[in-house]
Amino acid sequence: MMQENDSGRDERASDAPVDLTKEREQFVRTFLRKGVELTEELLSESADLRKEVARLERDNARLRAQVKSDNAIRDLIETIEELEREKRSLLDRSSELEASQREDEGRYTRIEAELNDLANLYIASYQLHASLSVRRVVRHLRDTIGQLVGAEAFAIYVNDRERKLAVPIGFEGLEADAVRPVGIGEGIIGEACITGIERIRDDFADGTLQDPVAVIPLLVEGRPIGAIAVASMLEQKSEWASVDRELFKLLGAHAGTALIAANLYASMSGPEAALEGLFDNLLRRPSHNPPPEGE
Amino acid sequence: MAEYSCLVVEDSPMMRQLLVFALARIKKLQVTEAEDGVDGLRKLSGNKFDLVITDINMPIMDGLKLVKRIRSDENHKDVPIIIITTEGSSEDRARAMALGANAYITKPIQAPQVIAQVKELLKLE
Repeated sequence: MMQENDSGRDERASDAPVDLTKEREQFVRTFLRKGVELTEELLSESADLRKEVARLERDNARLRAQVKSDNAIRDLIETIEELEREKRSLLDRSSELEASQREDEGRYTRIEAELNDLANLYIASYQLHASLSVRRVVRHLRDTIGQLVGAEAFAIYVNDRERKLAVPIGFEGLEADAVRPVGIGEGIIGEACITGIERIRDDFADGTLQDPVAVIPLLVEGRPIGAIAVASMLEQKSEWASVDRELFKLLGAHAGTALIAANLYASMSGPEAALEGLFDNLLRRPSHNPPPEGE
Repeated sequence: MAEYSCLVVEDSPMMRQLLVFALARIKKLQVTEAEDGVDGLRKLSGNKFDLVITDINMPIMDGLKLVKRIRSDENHKDVPIIIITTEGSSEDRARAMALGANAYITKPIQAPQVIAQVKELLKLE
């Protein structure tokens, strides 16, 4: 069709009015200008978008860093909480250990006190039986009552069966005139010398020889042979210690035996003489007392 | 091996034994016993002691005379001295302290009290 109209077209172009050509040029120019403007606009938008992308990337990086930081903080908080738990646990353990230490200290003090008590008992018993001299036995009795128990004034009595009197054989802290023999069965001391029943007051106030704070009968095979009367205690002693009662028990059970042994030994010429007849006595059963169980 | 030595001067065998028993619980402390002041001086002569514990009331030479003799002896004038007294004998105690005793223990003797006093004077922990 174009080929058919080649001559015709040339005709039309040469024949086109000037205004139309101008209009076409104007249109093309406008079209191109608008194209340029559009391109410029697109380039500008592209640049803006690039900037926006860059900004978003920065924001993204910042947010990532933020998240990372939040995680670190979260980890730190967890660590702190864990450390707090450990701290509480350690404090609890420390409190337990302190309580345990206090308990151990208390136990140590009690053991110390018991050891001291046992040492007193051991020494009192050892010294009482370490001598066969009547004077020394009496001296040990006085030391035990005065220095271990802490008695300020006291007297030791032994029964004189013939005279029916309990006769003082040693005393301390009392006037000699005040310490006299007492009738067996008379008064608090005389009663203990016949009944064998001890009497220990709880309070130390106003003790006298007539109303002693403690009367301890001396027993030999269950029979009273005398008594210890404690009139008063040392000022610093406000109450009985548990070992005092044990010392009284020891004295009540052993002092009489020690006195008898020392008294019998006094008439002997030596230990060999005192052992004469021992083998016969081992074979012979005592007539005045029943034999011990199991013999 | 003993590092410290102590002289115990006490006429009562019971009290002496009680003191020795208590002092035996202090490690590295060797104890020598004397029956009275004269015996105490005899034991002091030619020997060096880190501590002397003495009773006040003793026969032959009492504790007060012993304290005086020790303090006047060039060889022993600085040795720490503990005296043993009863609560009622505050005058004796005051005299002994005035003569140069360093400390006192009242009867009845309690081992922990003795140990604490000795450790303090010997500067043991």
